[in-house]
Amino acid sequence: MNKRKALVVDDEFHIVQVVSIKLKNNGFDVTTAENGSLAYDLACQDCPDIIVTDYQMPMMSGVEMIEKLRQNPETAHIPVIMLTARGFTIEDDQREQLRIAACLSKPFSPREVLQTIEDVLKQTASV
Amino acid sequence: MKTEYRNWILVAGVGLGAAGLAVIAALISLPKTLTVGLMVVVCVSIAATLALLFKQGSRLQAIAHSISVGSQIKLTSHYPAGSMLKEIGSATEQFLDETNHKVKSLQNENRDVTLQLQLLNRRKDSIEAVLNSIRDAVIVTDDRDRVILANTSAERIFGFEFNRKEPQSVEDAVSSDELAWMISKSRTSRATHVRHELTIEDAEQRVTYETVLSCVEDDGGEVLQVVTVLRDITREKEIAQMKNDFVSHVSHELKTPLASINAYAEMLVDGEAEDTETVQQFCDVIQSQAQRLSRLIEDILNISRIESGLVKVSKKTHSLALVIRDAVEMITGYAQEKDVAIQSPAPILYDQVNIDRDMISQVVINLLSNAVKYTSAGGQITVDSILNEMEGKVTVTVTDTGVGIPSEDLDHVFDKFYRVKANNKYAKGTGLGLNLVKQIVETVHGGSVFVTSTPDQGSTFGFVLPLLKETVALPL
Repeated sequence: MNKRKALVVDDEFHIVQVVSIKLKNNGFDVTTAENGSLAYDLACQDCPDIIVTDYQMPMMSGVEMIEKLRQNPETAHIPVIMLTARGFTIEDDQREQLRIAACLSKPFSPREVLQTIEDVLKQTASV
Repeated sequence: MKTEYRNWILVAGVGLGAAGLAVIAALISLPKTLTVGLMVVVCVSIAATLALLFKQGSRLQAIAHSISVGSQIKLTSHYPAGSMLKEIGSATEQFLDETNHKVKSLQNENRDVTLQLQLLNRRKDSIEAVLNSIRDAVIVTDDRDRVILANTSAERIFGFEFNRKEPQSVEDAVSSDELAWMISKSRTSRATHVRHELTIEDAEQRVTYETVLSCVEDDGGEVLQVVTVLRDITREKEIAQMKNDFVSHVSHELKTPLASINAYAEMLVDGEAEDTETVQQFCDVIQSQAQRLSRLIEDILNISRIESGLVKVSKKTHSLALVIRDAVEMITGYAQEKDVAIQSPAPILYDQVNIDRDMISQVVINLLSNAVKYTSAGGQITVDSILNEMEGKVTVTVTDTGVGIPSEDLDHVFDKFYRVKANNKYAKGTGLGLNLVKQIVETVHGGSVFVTSTPDQGSTFGFVLPLLKETVALPL
């Protein structure tokens, strides 16, 4: 059975590291990126099962990256979970439009991130 | 009338009377003696009457004069008892007494009215002076929405001249359809103490006013006037926005290290660290993020204390050269790690400044630390100080050969939480370090900060402090 692939994107190295370790320890194949631009390239290249991304990042923000993903037929289907330190800055209609699967506010729990990823993947598989 | 003229008129009267009677007696052929007697009697009567009339005329003249000059009217003549003249005289005296009384009463009333008018004028001037001294604009409109009172602030804000004699319609006066509508609406709806926010924008500025409208009603509940008060709340709104931004930034900046601490602690609890090396790594992350959080809180508190004037400042005479030397020593290790060279020229001798040493040391360390952070390996940092004894100033500069700052960011680099987006990839920061530099130099020490930069070539950050008036040679 192939490992599930996750792409973790954040400009905070420690956040990327802790989420990556949690996912790797729970059977994920993890790739990482420090900004939206690099993440988009990796997503096009690897086509991960899920993307966990920060909201605010240099070069290209999380929202800009998702917009690009949705415009590309190869990546439009990839479910995205967003981590943000700003709480409810993403309006419901924007979240719906970008098809963001879940939003988690910092400080987050790695357990919660893992559980959310599992729920989203289960939901995606059943559709 | 003079006595001389009166006598002549008396003589003329008597003469005319006698002549008349003589003619009549002659015509009816009366005896000569009787005719003569009649003439004598009639002449005497006429003379007496004329004399009395003249006397009364003089008295009336005196009365008229008394009235005109406002003095009391007096009647002191004596008439024989029981005579008709006595009765006329008494009636006249009574009339004059009453007239005297009325004149006096009218004079008193006139004085009272004059005083009250003066008082009212003084009050009106005082109220107008008070209204004009108010910074808020005050406009009073009548039941036809005409401006019947406006203070100078209202005239200045809306660019019209209040005309008391020919009130303008509020639409013509205030040149704001929205305000004219508010006033009209308040009047028709009889609203009281209604608050609106009104923004007036022109080519130069955008000003927001808190507008309070109140109706003044008569006893029957009819609206007589609408009082409109406009208060400039532009600055308050800016401050409120800054507070919101500050809370938002602080929240973001505090949550980021807190997220790491929380996540790594949970990983340790869950046994996600497979070996002791990973456990140690997780503990190091928790410690470094806790320190970052602590520095952040300290920076926020320092800025807040300086801004609110609550910071404890201990200013003494120090040599800026020594402060720079110590700061360079502190940052050398970090610079060597990044392979960045720091050049610091020989200290100048007469650079005595009255400073809080710890604070200015923090300023130099922040500038040096930033320079190292944004300079690639092999780069160079130069610290310099220039003494201008003529102007009594010393300028300290920290120049690097780093990534530089785009020109559009230069005006904002000293702002709270401002981060140069293009340089985010090179280093992490809170966006508070340079603001702290600015607060310490400008607010605490009365100096100034500056920056010049060329992208991809480097930046120069500097500050200017006033020198002590009488500098002394520095013992190095």
